[in-house]
Amino acid sequence: MALGYNTITFNPDKCDGCGDCMRACSQAKAGTDDPVHSRIQILANETPSTGEQQSPIEMAMCRQCGDPKCVSNCPAAALSKDLSSGTIDWDSSKCVNCLLCTVGCAFGGITYNVEVGHVTKCDTCDGNPACVKVCPHGALEYNTSGSVYTRIGDKEDLFVPGLSACQGCNSELLIRHTLRNVGSNVVVATPPGCIPGMGTVGYNGKTGTKVPVFHPLLTNTASMLAGIKKQYNRVGRDVTMLALAGDGGVGDVGFQSLSGAAERNEQQLFMCVDNEGYMNTGMQSSGSTPAGSWTSTTPVGKEMQGKRTDAKNMARIMMMHNCEYVATASLSFMDDYYDKLDKALAASKRGFAYLHVYAPCPTGWRFPAAETIEVCRKQVESNFVTLWEFTPDQGLQFTRSVDKPAPLADYLKQIGKYRHLNQDQIDHLQRRVDNQVKSLKAFEQTSAVS
Amino acid sequence: MTTIEKAITPDIDDSHYQSKTLVCDGNEAAAWGVALARPDVMAIYPITPQSSLVEYLSQFVAEGIIDAELMNVEGEHSVMSALQGAALAGARTYTATCGPGLAFMFEPYIRTPGLRLPMVASLVTRDTLTPQCVWGGHQDAMLVKEAGWIQMYCETVQEVLDTTTMAFRIGEHPDVMLPVNVNSDGNYLSYGATGIQLPAAPLVDAFMGEKNVNWHAALDPERPMAIDPLTGGAGGPGPSMFANYRKSQCDGMQNALRVIEETHKDWGDRIGRYYSPLVEEYRLDDADYALVTIGSMTGAAKDAVDLARDQGEAVGIIKIKTFRPFPVEAINRALSKVKAIGVVDRSVNFGWNCGPVYQETLAAAQRLQRFLPSASFIGGLAGSDITVEHFSQVIEDTAQLLKGHHYDEPIWINRND
Amino acid sequence: MQHSKYLIIGSSHAALEAVAAIRMQDPDGSLTLITRDKHLPYSPTVLPYVVSGRSQPDNINLKDQAYFDLHAIEFIPGRKVEKIEPENHCVILDNGQQWQYDKLLLATGASPLIPPISGLDQTEFLVLRTLEDAIALRQASSQAKKAIVLGAGLVGMHGAENLAEAGLDVTVVEMQTQVLPGYFDPQAAGLIESAFSQHGVTMKMGHRAVRIEQQDNGCQVELENGETLEADLLLVSTGVKPVTDYCAGSGIETDQGILVDDHMATNQTDIWAAGDVTQAGDFYSNAQVVTGILPDAVEQGRIAGMAMSEDPCLKSYNGGIPINTYTFYGQQAISVGVSDLSTGTLADCSEVELSVDTDNGFFQKIIFKDNQLQGISGINAALDPGIMWQLILRRIDLADDKADFVAKPLETGRRLMSRTWR
Repeated sequence: MALGYNTITFNPDKCDGCGDCMRACSQAKAGTDDPVHSRIQILANETPSTGEQQSPIEMAMCRQCGDPKCVSNCPAAALSKDLSSGTIDWDSSKCVNCLLCTVGCAFGGITYNVEVGHVTKCDTCDGNPACVKVCPHGALEYNTSGSVYTRIGDKEDLFVPGLSACQGCNSELLIRHTLRNVGSNVVVATPPGCIPGMGTVGYNGKTGTKVPVFHPLLTNTASMLAGIKKQYNRVGRDVTMLALAGDGGVGDVGFQSLSGAAERNEQQLFMCVDNEGYMNTGMQSSGSTPAGSWTSTTPVGKEMQGKRTDAKNMARIMMMHNCEYVATASLSFMDDYYDKLDKALAASKRGFAYLHVYAPCPTGWRFPAAETIEVCRKQVESNFVTLWEFTPDQGLQFTRSVDKPAPLADYLKQIGKYRHLNQDQIDHLQRRVDNQVKSLKAFEQTSAVS
Repeated sequence: MTTIEKAITPDIDDSHYQSKTLVCDGNEAAAWGVALARPDVMAIYPITPQSSLVEYLSQFVAEGIIDAELMNVEGEHSVMSALQGAALAGARTYTATCGPGLAFMFEPYIRTPGLRLPMVASLVTRDTLTPQCVWGGHQDAMLVKEAGWIQMYCETVQEVLDTTTMAFRIGEHPDVMLPVNVNSDGNYLSYGATGIQLPAAPLVDAFMGEKNVNWHAALDPERPMAIDPLTGGAGGPGPSMFANYRKSQCDGMQNALRVIEETHKDWGDRIGRYYSPLVEEYRLDDADYALVTIGSMTGAAKDAVDLARDQGEAVGIIKIKTFRPFPVEAINRALSKVKAIGVVDRSVNFGWNCGPVYQETLAAAQRLQRFLPSASFIGGLAGSDITVEHFSQVIEDTAQLLKGHHYDEPIWINRND
Repeated sequence: MQHSKYLIIGSSHAALEAVAAIRMQDPDGSLTLITRDKHLPYSPTVLPYVVSGRSQPDNINLKDQAYFDLHAIEFIPGRKVEKIEPENHCVILDNGQQWQYDKLLLATGASPLIPPISGLDQTEFLVLRTLEDAIALRQASSQAKKAIVLGAGLVGMHGAENLAEAGLDVTVVEMQTQVLPGYFDPQAAGLIESAFSQHGVTMKMGHRAVRIEQQDNGCQVELENGETLEADLLLVSTGVKPVTDYCAGSGIETDQGILVDDHMATNQTDIWAAGDVTQAGDFYSNAQVVTGILPDAVEQGRIAGMAMSEDPCLKSYNGGIPINTYTFYGQQAISVGVSDLSTGTLADCSEVELSVDTDNGFFQKIIFKDNQLQGISGINAALDPGIMWQLILRRIDLADDKADFVAKPLETGRRLMSRTWR
């Protein structure tokens, strides 16, 4: 059985070397600020050398390896991998101070502490790491996607094998994970688009889904689900309503029924899988297509250089409906996604929940299939999309810091549909990104005040 | 199934359902017809001249006369969509619309018959844009005659009530499984008040029998299935699958002719009111020629025929109640009795330069294998009245056919009003 | 006849690592572990701590029966392999039982090398390789007064410290001129020796024992220079040799140990060998070497297991690198890679950074070649040996970081590896 675990992650681009994490660790483990006791070591490069891409800040700590060499090297069985938490535990009663564990570690994760006379290592503070809590820049995060995968991996995949999504499609990944978590007591609506296109609803009498699933029209997903839910409520059955819709079925022709259902607070979880256009039918432009994008209906030529207008921000529009729950998510941040999926599911029992998942499309956007998750990540890290959630009581809250974003150009340059962009267009998109963030921050501040 | 039935048996005051006499208009009568059928889910969006109908429904829900989920959605498109969803979850469903609302509903509307979902939607018929118009006419209903819905046109307020209730049983019949439009003329039936009899609810409950609207296609985790996978294409099993599916839809439509007759008979036996389910013949047996009518205009037509009869004219009426499926045999039984017909339409067939009822009637008559002199009359557009006087003129014009007169053009009734 | 898809002889680090690797790839294939030892798996490396009392004999098991049950492994202790018939894919045990295998791993480790010293075979002495040895040595140390330790390798040094701490009068006799040869240069070794001397251990370096004689209450050891030493406890720790006796007649090619390629395969089809029993590739040269180093055993076991289970991620063995982490009297001695240029293949290498503070017992020696780290050794110097090992293995170019590295090997090493991993 494959197991995944929670991990502490470090983003050197966000670290300024303040050392708060080390002090917090030393305090947690030894009651002192002396960094010698810190299980996390932040390493500032005092004399940065020539390499341009070289990051000035590095980090050494236990990675809680899945296949730990320190454990293999221990002759005294003092180290062991805890299969429930994933941490590598050190047993002082067995340790003989031979230091062979330190030979096994390539990360500086288990080291001899001369002050206490034995090796020390990170134990993740039993799943509540002190270092992460004090990091003021979000450089350290406690990533729980591993344990989430373990939890989800034990659940049945409710789609059949062999859906015919394009290579590298993250929509398939998304829907498989989602339905595992949602379970079988559900009715799934997938309006025309990539998701039914890959065979979920099926062809000629055969289906790709093990739970009730249907093709609504591109226009009426939310309404059909609303009607279904009404009848189940009437007969006293609690059945989850789940929409897996593309951005066209959400923000373009599907918008009216969506908006109506949100206004009526219909009990459903409506998920927008946003691949920024009509990718299933040949990459036509939609209202979610960002300015400058090449699509088959916003081509690049002498008179037109991709889409001339900006995308609408559907998640923000849905927030303005004051839904029970609205959130954005990215598959490069699965723990965040699962957290939001759980919340959205819970909210969908009370009323309308909207999840906007960004879904870069290797086929339509023109990037290598193996890079999908990396494109997802860069989308977020550049603030091209932002991760936040909204409830009527809490208002908008970012679930991932938007400070210190990576340059937008780094995101754009890895995607074929932006290859033709001139500097004006890049500048325009950068301004757009900055303005969106500014505006969302204003919402966040308003939330904080109220 | 039994648990569901139990759960949705409305716990409401049956005093509302005592047989009694009411004075009401057609929209209220339709609402009572709905109430008697005990729907589960209703979705509504107001539009003239249907608005008071959905207001009555809302009022009935508010007062507990109807125990149903009432969905006030943001447009007719969602009305039909929500009802499809509800029906797929097992609900008896109802709505009403007309004119531009029907046009906006069109995308999901044309899908309901394909999903084989029984459902009742009243069309409080209205002429269509443009010119901008909020008044009665059959153009809206005639535009959707090829959508696959059963269409029945009512003549009176009482018939609106009775047909509305019957429509649920017709659509839900396992040999049919199709949605039904109960059409009542905007303005004339919708707002025309008259005394009617409200049947006793227990009698209607017994008439309605068991409900099972999603035995064939359900969105239910206890019976997981995919609804509407892509079907068709140029190879593999798709083309024959699609063709067989379409044929079964047509079969259901043809089965409806029998079921409509049986249902009207049973309604008459239980409730005491009988209607000609497909085609009504009025003073036809000894007629030389006949008017062909549809909907509420028939009342004035009957008065005009009575007057003409008084003056010795051998004229009768063939009234079409069921327009979809088109009752070819019943029509031809009636047509076989006469030598000429004048067909009065409240809408136009642009392509044939005549009324659509006229065109369809002639198509049926072709099977009689004899020449039937005919004239197309177009009147009652945009709320205009077809009076007894108008019909007397229609009778006069039709009579000319017996003398060998031929009309190249349709005769426009209200052009000189 | 018994059959096991995977048959593994031995139960220490190399064997267990191979088991883990096989089970990662093939969770179901039958897997049997046969070992001549009578106990649940343990590491020879822990035995000095059993002697000292720091480790309890019942608390040193690397794996327990629950682990074997969980992974569907049959564990058969107390059985020696007598003979291997590669052509029949068959192993014959000392009780005559025959085991057929699809894939066979030989991880039989090593046993003490008993030097050909006159009279030794007539003398009572102790060694330290098995748990029984450790218990016997611990028991003997509580009764003896005076000990002689023959050999100043790791076992000998641990033994000497343990015996001295137990109150014995201890003398270490080493044929070579320093302790821990191969891991530390003479200067570093001198620091270690002086710590022992300060704790009352007599260190006789560069002395060869030529004759040993059993006496009533112990033994007498005569050195090459004529000096005689007496003791009531004699610990022979002059090294180990691979256990390969059962290979005789099998066609499995052996030299000092079982010869293996860089996937730990022997010259016989479907037979692999890993750990102390092997004579495998050297990192620095083309030679085949017997190392007896625990991290090498783990590495070899992993590779053998992956090869046996046809793991597509199989990579070649990088070759053995001398590695030693040694704590003595509360001090730490660490050595990774080349430590002494006077011997071995890097004699021409001239980039040596040496830092010594004898008063504080501090020693640090870094050897580069072509801007790549070749070896680092230290006493009471802060190092991450795992990182140093990787810097050597990966032949990381340190041209830009050499000054930083020499000044602060710990921090610079961590920084370099952090960057390399990312």
